[in-house]
Amino acid sequence: MSLLELKGVKKIYQQGKIKVPALRGVDLTVEQGEFSTIFGPSGSGKTTLLNMIGCLDTPTEGEIRLNGSKVSDLSRKALAMTRRHNIGFVFQSYNLIPVLTAYENVEFAIRLIDHTSDLKIKERVMQILEEVGLKGLENRRPNELSGGEKQRVAIARALVKEPKLVLADEPTANLDSENATGVVKIMVKMNKELGTTFIFSTHDPMVMEYAHRYINLKDGMISADERRG
Amino acid sequence: MFSLKLGLKNLTRQKRRNVITILVIAFAFFGYLFMDSVMGGMEEMSFSNIKNYDTGNIQVVHPEYWEDREKLPLENLIDLNQDTVDSIKKMDGVLGVSPELRFQANLNNGIDEVAVLGLGISPEQYNEVFNTKNYIVEGAMFAPGESKAVIGVKLAELMDLKMNDYITLLIRTKEDTFNTIDVEIAGLLNSPNPMINNGIVFVPLDIAQQALNIGNRVSLLALKTVSGDEDKITKALTDSFKDKGLDLKAYSWKESAASVIALSTAKKGGAGTILSVVLLIGMIGIINNVILSALERTAEIGMMKALGMREWEIVFVFMVEATGIGILGGLVGCLIGFAGVSFMAKYGYDLSYIGGDMSEFGIPILDKIYGTWNYPAFSFLFVLSVVVALLSSIAPAYWAAHKDPVKAIYHR
Repeated sequence: MSLLELKGVKKIYQQGKIKVPALRGVDLTVEQGEFSTIFGPSGSGKTTLLNMIGCLDTPTEGEIRLNGSKVSDLSRKALAMTRRHNIGFVFQSYNLIPVLTAYENVEFAIRLIDHTSDLKIKERVMQILEEVGLKGLENRRPNELSGGEKQRVAIARALVKEPKLVLADEPTANLDSENATGVVKIMVKMNKELGTTFIFSTHDPMVMEYAHRYINLKDGMISADERRG
Repeated sequence: MFSLKLGLKNLTRQKRRNVITILVIAFAFFGYLFMDSVMGGMEEMSFSNIKNYDTGNIQVVHPEYWEDREKLPLENLIDLNQDTVDSIKKMDGVLGVSPELRFQANLNNGIDEVAVLGLGISPEQYNEVFNTKNYIVEGAMFAPGESKAVIGVKLAELMDLKMNDYITLLIRTKEDTFNTIDVEIAGLLNSPNPMINNGIVFVPLDIAQQALNIGNRVSLLALKTVSGDEDKITKALTDSFKDKGLDLKAYSWKESAASVIALSTAKKGGAGTILSVVLLIGMIGIINNVILSALERTAEIGMMKALGMREWEIVFVFMVEATGIGILGGLVGCLIGFAGVSFMAKYGYDLSYIGGDMSEFGIPILDKIYGTWNYPAFSFLFVLSVVVALLSSIAPAYWAAHKDPVKAIYHR
């Protein structure tokens, strides 16, 4: 069973009286453990596709199955619970909570699903922070971290609950090349070590080199889908 | 609970705005507590001045006299019977009985004339009921049978009178003929009740009875009783008069002070309006705070939704923050309210800045108003601040939490 299946997914936005198609019928299957990139020009529908896959939005037409369960017509509450347990997100602009430390930003995500002892949660959070190379920086607030460090916190936050799928929307767009490479290497490492499926959108050719699969979107449709290695 | 922790930590964001909201709530609360204290003090002092210097705790009168009492009639008076006075004195809770003869008079100083209330009293019995003797600032109280009078300093000032001056009281007898009472000023008093100072001339009861040609009769019997037991004693007295077939009735000071009580009730209505304004200020402050926070944290709300937080969990975070502001506003308000009320209770407000005499507004208070402590108002207001903050945050917090996650994340 595939982790993710999209069949004929269409998304049409209504802007006043005009209907704007963002996705025109996407068919896609993603297996567990894949490390895929979605690329394409601006307005090609990358973010819309990620939002559909991430249960943040529902398609106008078509079907999405996550881990065999149909998620394309779930209620808002059910979609929230699906995201909570199965999906991690990494955003271009990090979206960390400024009043929380790096540790607390990561803890926040796991507290939503894990109600075990504080000690176990602490062990888990410290472990994931160490894995993303933030050991010793756990008590810093976002304004005391560099862009690369902030994105690592965001990755740790996405991974701490051990989701089946991590979606990253242009995770390196705000980073210099050194930090961008560092962040992608961490995602590759997590993909290998934890077997987490990653799907990320990017414009950056250097980042794309690390992917195993390239999904090219053009005008809301997949124009190419290639695998490497 | 992590949401609680996050809500509390969010209190440290936008410090300036939060501090302003807290101070707005605090000063609104302070204003209310201060007003409440002053109004409470005004009420307490008014009631005390009425009881201790004007009506006594209870008045015993003929029921028909009571109806016309404002006109100071010489009809339906009480025959001053020592047995009646003694039987009243023996009742539980009665501490003193003072017969009073109230009559209309014009005070003439030889040049000018002014309408006054003539009050015939028996000094010894009067002192059992009223504190007035302690406020004689010059001279002394007269003795029975002396052609002497005691007047207030304000009246003396108005009529340009001083100690040992002679005055004439022009009166109408029961038969409607004119008569005069010529008396020497034996004492000047400065009572805390300005109404006593401004327009009353005290004369010996026997002198007044003789001049008015009413025999041994009085308008009323003023009683001093154990404070707080007035209603019970009033009922017992009225029942006792009925049993004895006496055409008398007892009235608590509250009935004599109906106009002041009505004023006090109106003030309480005003306090309710002030409280509503205070609550409105608090609500607007909190709603404004939550809306602005939600607008500033749109992407953060989107991230929370992406993490799988449910709407009520996001609402809870905002509610904790708003409630925190309410608690801090309430605490600061109570603290500065405590300081303001302490000051008012200890030092009071000098009325000389506004003329010194509140009797013109129907409030029998002179020189200073002191605040009173109303401890339940502090706890009530604090609890209210928390409840109002909590409730007024729900709608804007729900509005924030209901945002579409995609639009929130990408600020669309």
